[in-house]
Amino acid sequence: MTTAQTLLLLAEIWVWTGLGVALVFLTVGVDRVEPNIRRAFIVRPMLVPGVVLLWPLVVWRWVVLETGRDRPLARHRPPRRVHRWAWIVFAALIPAILVSGLILRQDGPREQAPVRLEAPR
Amino acid sequence: MSVTYVPVQWNRTKWIYDAVLGVMVFAYIGLFLHLAPAFQDVTRPVDTAILRARALGTCAFLMLTVILCIGPLARLDRRFLPLLYNRRHFGVMTCFVAIGHAGFVLDWYFAFSPLPRWEALLSANTSYGQALGFPFEIFGLFALGTLMILAATSHDFWLSFLTAPVWKALHYLIYPAYAAVVAHLAFGALQDLQNPLLAMVTGLAAALVSGLHLWAALSEPQPRTTAREAHWERVGTPDEIAEGAAKIALLTTGERVAVFRHEGTLSAISNACAHQNGPLGEGRIVWGCVTCPWHGFQYTLRNGRSPDPFTETVPTYMLRLEDGTIWVDNRPNPPGTDVEPIVLEDAHAHA
Repeated sequence: MTTAQTLLLLAEIWVWTGLGVALVFLTVGVDRVEPNIRRAFIVRPMLVPGVVLLWPLVVWRWVVLETGRDRPLARHRPPRRVHRWAWIVFAALIPAILVSGLILRQDGPREQAPVRLEAPR
Repeated sequence: MSVTYVPVQWNRTKWIYDAVLGVMVFAYIGLFLHLAPAFQDVTRPVDTAILRARALGTCAFLMLTVILCIGPLARLDRRFLPLLYNRRHFGVMTCFVAIGHAGFVLDWYFAFSPLPRWEALLSANTSYGQALGFPFEIFGLFALGTLMILAATSHDFWLSFLTAPVWKALHYLIYPAYAAVVAHLAFGALQDLQNPLLAMVTGLAAALVSGLHLWAALSEPQPRTTAREAHWERVGTPDEIAEGAAKIALLTTGERVAVFRHEGTLSAISNACAHQNGPLGEGRIVWGCVTCPWHGFQYTLRNGRSPDPFTETVPTYMLRLEDGTIWVDNRPNPPGTDVEPIVLEDAHAHA
């Protein structure tokens, strides 16, 4: 099996597992942990892609809420300090990537001087 | 705001926002497809499928650029806040445009391979060990996957279920995604610089995004408290707070408190909105409630509760006014705790 085939197989397993989690979570689990979704049925199919893509995160939050380990005050602690540094790093990274791509072009400044090849005899 | 979730919380403003956005996207793609053939010559003809992929790809890049500019612009100037209001719809639309780009690419460049398309995409170029000729498709694939995650978790349910800090941490992925899109362009389309227009547009977009983020990050105030006695921290004086406004203070615990002055009283609540952790201290008081400048969520000052029938709550803080100085207890009360506001006239008379 090639690397590409292995990656696609893993993606397929991920999606099927996610669909299984979505089926149980959106029919049974979510009503127990999210009061505002009770009586809201049309919105549930819209949540399926998110559950499929992030099912480990969904399971983790589901367990935290079900076991009463949620910390209400943690909802009000935004990662503000990280945000500032993330912006600074991001601002430096974008031009660096762009300039690297342009410098490494095949016909860019790093190009070797052309060499006249000898005709095959 | 909460109560019962609906698929999309439409209102007039959002309809207008989305309609303008939709018209601009279709206009851009239409113009691109109409004008681009004029720039090709007989030696380098471009197929329609490639033109479509380019139209949607550049459109998604420009949309992502605008989305990323909205955040720092709104921090630098409040007049850009209306653009922030419906940014999630903008993001979802960008995701669909990017999916369209990927669809045209798969249906052309990888459609004639004996392998299935996705397998062909992942195995056509595996030169990951070299910079020159690096498989730039992988950057696009990462960005597309990220956009799909962000779009799939854009509903308010996810904010409530994951909590705003976790949701925000997840949505920080937009930064590596944009970096990946720039790499996708720099190591892909820009390697063939027959048309310098794309390089110029990419350079301008990158400079704009980069410059605005740096400007906003460096100009953000760090309003620390000025003194501390046990759990009490000094915020300032009542004169520093205008009527109907707040002073935001960064506590030594790392949290931000918003001390509001409203109708001769002082009250303190968390600066982080329960919805998306927007800066409540920068909000206005409407009908006696603090209104978040990002999405309009409202809270009563004395108890940090949204007015009925809504159920959001934010932590409140104990305040003390001593010799004309405001002190705040840095231990937040549980969200929704009622705290008697400090009446300024009485306090002055007592002093």
